[in-house]
Amino acid sequence: MKRRTYLKTGGAAAIAGLAGCLNVSESNDGTTTDTTTGGTTEGTTTGTASEPDEPLTIATYDSFFGDEGTAGNWLKQAWEAERDTKIEFTAPSNGVNEFISRKKQGASIDADLFVGLNTGELVRVDEQLPDATLFDTPGGLSHASRIKDSLQIDPERRALPYDTGYISLVYDSTEIEEPQTFDDLTSPAYQGALLAENAQTSDPGRAFLLWTIHEMGADGYLDYWQDLVENDVRILDDWQPAYNAYMNRERPIVVSYSTDQVYYHGEDELPRHQIGFLNDQGYANPEAMARFADTNQPETAAAFMDFVLTDEAQANIAVNNVQFPATTTADLPDEYDQYAHEPPEPVTFTYEELAGNLDGWINEWARQIASN
Amino acid sequence: MDKRVGAPDSEQLAPTPARALLLATGLATLLVLLVVFYYPVWTVFENAVLRDGYGVFSALADPLAAVTPDVLLGVLSDPFFLGAAHTLFEAPLRVPGDAAAWTVEFLATARPALVSRPPFVVLVHEAGNVEFGLFGFTAYQAVLSTVLSVLLGVPGAWVLARFEFPGRSTLKSLTILPFVLPSIMVVAGFVATFGTFGTVNDVLAWLGFGRVEMLYTLELVVLAHAFYNAPLVTRMVGTAWENVNANAVETARSLGAGRVRSFTDVVLPQLVPALAASALLTFVFTFMTFPIVLGLGGLRLATVEVWLYASVNQLDYETAAALGTLETAFSLFFMYVYLRYEARRASSGTGKPLPRARLFSADTLRDWLSRAGIAAYGLVIVVVFVLPLASMVLASVGGLDDPTLEWWRLLVERQGGSRTEPSVAVWNSLLFGLGALAVALPMGVVVAAFSTRGGRLRKLGDTVLMAPIAVSGVVVGFGLLQGLVFGVDIGSYRVSVVGPAVVVMAHAVAGYPFVVRNVAPMLADLDDRLVEAARSLGADRARALWDVELPLVWPGVVAGAAFAFAISIGEFDSTVILAGENTYTMPVALKRFLVDRTAGPSIGPAAAMGTVLLVVTAVSFVVIDYVGGRYRP
Repeated sequence: MKRRTYLKTGGAAAIAGLAGCLNVSESNDGTTTDTTTGGTTEGTTTGTASEPDEPLTIATYDSFFGDEGTAGNWLKQAWEAERDTKIEFTAPSNGVNEFISRKKQGASIDADLFVGLNTGELVRVDEQLPDATLFDTPGGLSHASRIKDSLQIDPERRALPYDTGYISLVYDSTEIEEPQTFDDLTSPAYQGALLAENAQTSDPGRAFLLWTIHEMGADGYLDYWQDLVENDVRILDDWQPAYNAYMNRERPIVVSYSTDQVYYHGEDELPRHQIGFLNDQGYANPEAMARFADTNQPETAAAFMDFVLTDEAQANIAVNNVQFPATTTADLPDEYDQYAHEPPEPVTFTYEELAGNLDGWINEWARQIASN
Repeated sequence: MDKRVGAPDSEQLAPTPARALLLATGLATLLVLLVVFYYPVWTVFENAVLRDGYGVFSALADPLAAVTPDVLLGVLSDPFFLGAAHTLFEAPLRVPGDAAAWTVEFLATARPALVSRPPFVVLVHEAGNVEFGLFGFTAYQAVLSTVLSVLLGVPGAWVLARFEFPGRSTLKSLTILPFVLPSIMVVAGFVATFGTFGTVNDVLAWLGFGRVEMLYTLELVVLAHAFYNAPLVTRMVGTAWENVNANAVETARSLGAGRVRSFTDVVLPQLVPALAASALLTFVFTFMTFPIVLGLGGLRLATVEVWLYASVNQLDYETAAALGTLETAFSLFFMYVYLRYEARRASSGTGKPLPRARLFSADTLRDWLSRAGIAAYGLVIVVVFVLPLASMVLASVGGLDDPTLEWWRLLVERQGGSRTEPSVAVWNSLLFGLGALAVALPMGVVVAAFSTRGGRLRKLGDTVLMAPIAVSGVVVGFGLLQGLVFGVDIGSYRVSVVGPAVVVMAHAVAGYPFVVRNVAPMLADLDDRLVEAARSLGADRARALWDVELPLVWPGVVAGAAFAFAISIGEFDSTVILAGENTYTMPVALKRFLVDRTAGPSIGPAAAMGTVLLVVTAVSFVVIDYVGGRYRP
């Protein structure tokens, strides 16, 4: 309750004068009081305040919020139209890693919710913090039961999915036939055709790697990737450069999302942006939100999570975030539905399947690729 | 050279304002380094060398119990990291036998291969069947990058130093421009230029050569490194060339030495130190390369730094710390070699410079030949430096096929109260750049003044002071996050630092070594008698520095200032961590526009922001050189 309330500490202010942006807080566990002095524009200092006046701070990723036409912006406006609590977004450059490190080091968690968590990251949270509680389970959410069972990523229901993407191939049908199976990709017809992303640094890259492990098994995926390498797969560090290379016609197939045609559905564009579901599958990569256990406004945070799961919010998040809703009851606009394709058979790894395996799988894979 | 700086003269004991200022600046420099560099970096390294649960103080109290070699040895004895060399650490007794087998294998399989993939005609690059490991590969690509940077940079130095032409000084100040460009943008520009359907291939296809695949090859990574580092070589060698004393050359000629002889005997010895120094710097930079490799090479060409970054991402701090420690030890060793080299630079500079020929007039056949050579070189420069930048500007207007002002309109829209306003980014960048400049200049000049006074141990101290160049950006950024942003417990308070001031400090720390490296050699070259004369007339050390030395080394100060400003403008990794949500700079804005969801999968908005960055910084450098050149302290 006392976090972010102003505290007059003469001594601390004197030290702060030197550095300009020093932040001094009492570090007795649980309740912390802090004061920000000097020329900072961070705005972490507010007047003595009770809960409703304090903004709800949501940590997320860069492209989730900020401008007209983003999911975050829609959520902020719709929420603030009805409630007293303001919403503030923040995008730490290391994502959830930053909060894991903070918890480890005993630094304060200056956010109430995290939005944009995937299964692998949740596994990492639990493996890195075996004895600490970063996220807790919100109770009494009236809309939580609408979440599709297949998308649930957390056995403890701390993290609740709010949307999902499906990793698939996007291919240029003017240049190449649709690859039907994983084995097709290692055949001579597809030599030098595939663009993928680094599973260490990129979300779709990791999802694609997991998809191949799902298909080939933990014993077989390295051999499969060796075949891919020999068939001249190209692995770039992130989705953006890979997709740029695809757009520049460097290669005719790219690992991407099944919502690609939302951007490209002109008559000329469609043939160049076909969705390929290998083995009629797509790898589901749900995005989830979770409440920080250290939040001092747990009720408001839970209410926001419930709000995100309403039908209206679900439809808007899906469209603005170019993803699919996580609930069974949300209705998408017809036009969006027409261009966003869902795979016939969505596959994914559950929390239990990833726990204890994920980092090892990625590491082995990366060593094999880098050694080539 | 006389080294007695701290001579216990009686007047030195009397504190004067100037002396107090010098001392205060020195202490402030140390304090800043400690807070925003040494402490944060140590928080990363301690994961590699200390046992769990031991901190700095317990390690100092009982180093035997606290220090563990396990993590470092784990990396050193892993063939993935060290290749064949891992047996050195895993089973030292097997080394002689292994080395013999290694040599035989290497000699049997290695062959010089002429790789011709236009536009790179020759690169020797078949290393044989010997495993080099991640470190070996990293060093290998750094050597290639250094060679190409020197080959591309030296002719530039020659042209700038020896020829007069309109816009020469502007061109010279623009040589620093590649330094500031965020790698994301350079990668995009290189892809647009050298891609299968890029500009160069279009020309090749039009000429009937057919298209060649250049992307994601070692050659292109090496070329991109040259894009960043050849201008550095040009700048450093060019300055040395301009300082060559014409009298010495004339003396040699009058004694009967031919053009070639007088060059090899008089000019070359004065260029070699600058050449070696810039090559060593290039090697250190390219050894620690990271975003270029990821962007243009992909995982198959991974370097140590790429692995370090991935380890940090996976919160595998031990591997990250071990790699960071080894990499830093390696770079520091080269920094030390560099500093030894720099100390040996021949003194000169105060004499008459060589006359410059006019570029656009040629009489003799020799003149015509040299002009033809320069024209060919100009063509290479256009392909390597101008085309990638032009491609970026072109991408901001949708390219030639589909011209659009959509992305510029988007930039203007963002100006109206969005999360990332372009003008705020420009303003912040300039403000932080000036702030970093204001901090880095005094820091650099003072460190240079202290460090030019010789001695073997002093070189060691210098190396430590130059560490910001030798420590990787990932380590610094990560250390700053853990050490400063998260804060430290002091008593019952947790002290953390965020906001613009710490960004400025971090930029200043990254930039000041360049001030030192530009100023120190010139200070060392000064005739000591000048300072002694001033001292004997009653000036103290600070007064002598300010009134005598500084005006004489001013060109070096200006060059250092340009670097410090450039580093600040281009810095991304630590800025994005330290600045927080609202104090974004141009590179941070560029990154945000790159993932702008409302613009779809397009690099257009980022390219537009990159163009703004390009223009703003280009103007800044011309201004810095212009103002700095006019002003004399």
